[in-house]
Amino acid sequence: MAVSSIPEPKKRNWAPYLIIGAILMIVIGRIIFLGTVSDRFNAAFFTRAITESFKLGSLYALIALGYTMVYGIIRLINFAHGEVFMVGAFATFFLFSAAPYPWPVAVLVAIPIAFGVMRILDFWRGKMTDPIVLAGGGVVFFIAVWLLSATTVNFVLALIFSMLITGVLGIFIDRIAYSPLRGAPRNSMLITAIAVSFFLQNFGLLTLTRRQTPFRPDTVLNNSLVFNMFDGTVRTSWLIVVIPLISLVLVIALTLFVTRTRLGKAMRATAQDAEVAQMMGVNVGRVIATTFLLGSMLAAAGGAMWGLNFGSLNQPAILGILPGIKAFAAAVIGGIGSLPGAVIGGLIIGFAENFLTAIFPRTPEFAGITEFKDTFAFILLIVILLVRPSGIIGEDLSEKV
Amino acid sequence: MSDSLNSNDKREKLLELNKVTTHYGPIRILHDVDMVIYPGEMVCLLGGNASGKSTTLKTILGIVRVSEGEMYFRGQRADTLSIAERIERGMAVVPENRRIFPKMTVLENLEMGSYLRNDKKAIKEDLNYVFDLFPRLAERLSQLGGTMSGGEQQMLAMGRALMSRPKLILMDEPSMGLAPLFVEKIFEIIKQVNERGISVFVVEQNANVALSIADRGYVLQTGEVVLSGPAQDLLNNEAMKRAYLGEV
Repeated sequence: MAVSSIPEPKKRNWAPYLIIGAILMIVIGRIIFLGTVSDRFNAAFFTRAITESFKLGSLYALIALGYTMVYGIIRLINFAHGEVFMVGAFATFFLFSAAPYPWPVAVLVAIPIAFGVMRILDFWRGKMTDPIVLAGGGVVFFIAVWLLSATTVNFVLALIFSMLITGVLGIFIDRIAYSPLRGAPRNSMLITAIAVSFFLQNFGLLTLTRRQTPFRPDTVLNNSLVFNMFDGTVRTSWLIVVIPLISLVLVIALTLFVTRTRLGKAMRATAQDAEVAQMMGVNVGRVIATTFLLGSMLAAAGGAMWGLNFGSLNQPAILGILPGIKAFAAAVIGGIGSLPGAVIGGLIIGFAENFLTAIFPRTPEFAGITEFKDTFAFILLIVILLVRPSGIIGEDLSEKV
Repeated sequence: MSDSLNSNDKREKLLELNKVTTHYGPIRILHDVDMVIYPGEMVCLLGGNASGKSTTLKTILGIVRVSEGEMYFRGQRADTLSIAERIERGMAVVPENRRIFPKMTVLENLEMGSYLRNDKKAIKEDLNYVFDLFPRLAERLSQLGGTMSGGEQQMLAMGRALMSRPKLILMDEPSMGLAPLFVEKIFEIIKQVNERGISVFVVEQNANVALSIADRGYVLQTGEVVLSGPAQDLLNNEAMKRAYLGEV
């Protein structure tokens, strides 16, 4: 055994702590200041600011989960994930706005939907060729064809269909672009991920020339919600409740899947030691496909709710980039590879972006800081990584060889 | 048959390697390896560093593919099977360095051992058997695997292998990195497991301990079997003594 060396006393770098302290001081000071200077900034105002931040944060969390899951399993930063999110948003849009479709289109759209359902039934049955899986896929196929060709599709159904389609897209991307490179150096896969991302961006650029796509499904979720609290009235929409709620349900479902089901446990085992997981009989290919399926489904849910939240979608070439990179920052802040870390990171980014701009609004003597909101995510990323290089609840990466 | 040592042995073979050759890329690792394990037997594989011991084990399990030769497991051709199929047919492994899942609890680690099984009742029985064998594990069901000591991790890795109700357990260096007292204890338990009728194939550097409890042994040198026979014969073999048993 090697002679143990005496560890050098660690020099603490206080600068990042000072920065975080300073930010907190400014925020608290600002809140107190606002409270004294005008009646507008009452408890109702801050309630709204906090819930709005929570809403935005939960969307980032949904996207960040996809980054962190894929990284945990195959150590790939899936740069195409932002574009998967974009596809999810647009798939939802076309499902609720363009239906009923002519039947050939309905059949084409129903194929990935049925396949996605089969992949999910496969969690339980363990084999794609299992009679129950095949029967389930067939039934869903015919129902989907009928729904898409005969009726208009409401938002919730569009969301579910879009999640399935996008999930299958995730599996497809992995199969086409990443799985042939499994044994190659890690950078090859990273470059491929960037290529897939650019491909999807440009595909969107060519197929959809509109700069903004209005995203206004006919749903009660968009209705306004007005309630009184403390000394003021909060005017907002039901989205402020619904988006965090749907996100919470999805996160709980994912957590249950990962901790309670056999395939979920195999997923965690693969993330920890893929070779030994294989020695226990785990089909690593199936685990990877499942990871892409679930991550992409969450991204699609995030995309659909993103459209709902902002009422319109950007041009596909740019829609995925910023939310994607911010969600990636969220995953890193939380500790990439960790599921709770992604959720915490997402909420932190949401608050940094929304709450800070809310408490520094435009006033006659101050231009506001709305223009800088996109930079906060990355300032936070730098500061938090200075304090905790492996993220808030990330594992210590230095011990891994 | 090909194995001259056992040519007059009429017993059914559990595992048979027939002139097995394997490669890592262009590099040949194993060369014409013949090996037999009978039901209920404990066989050890000895050899120095880089002699191909671990590769033999990985070849049996299917992580390394056979490039020439054949392998039979329970009477069936096995070198074309996937790892999962071999496990379903009754193989289990205790990998080198234990390699338990550090962020899963003791119970979850054991559950991973029975990953391919569906018989809930029998799994429960096997879980109780593992707890009888290693009472320490039963006390620490919800502890994370990575926070346990080396010896406890070795128990967990063995328990995990037993959870698949195997016919053959493959062990890669079970004594590595353990205190001498613990090595003896582990081998005692291996013996116990073996006495239940489970065949054990153990790759070991610690030749003395391994041979003292094994039925037979093979000695590997640069990928070829150079010596094989009953454990007692190997212990008394002059060449063996000089090379592996540390006697002059």
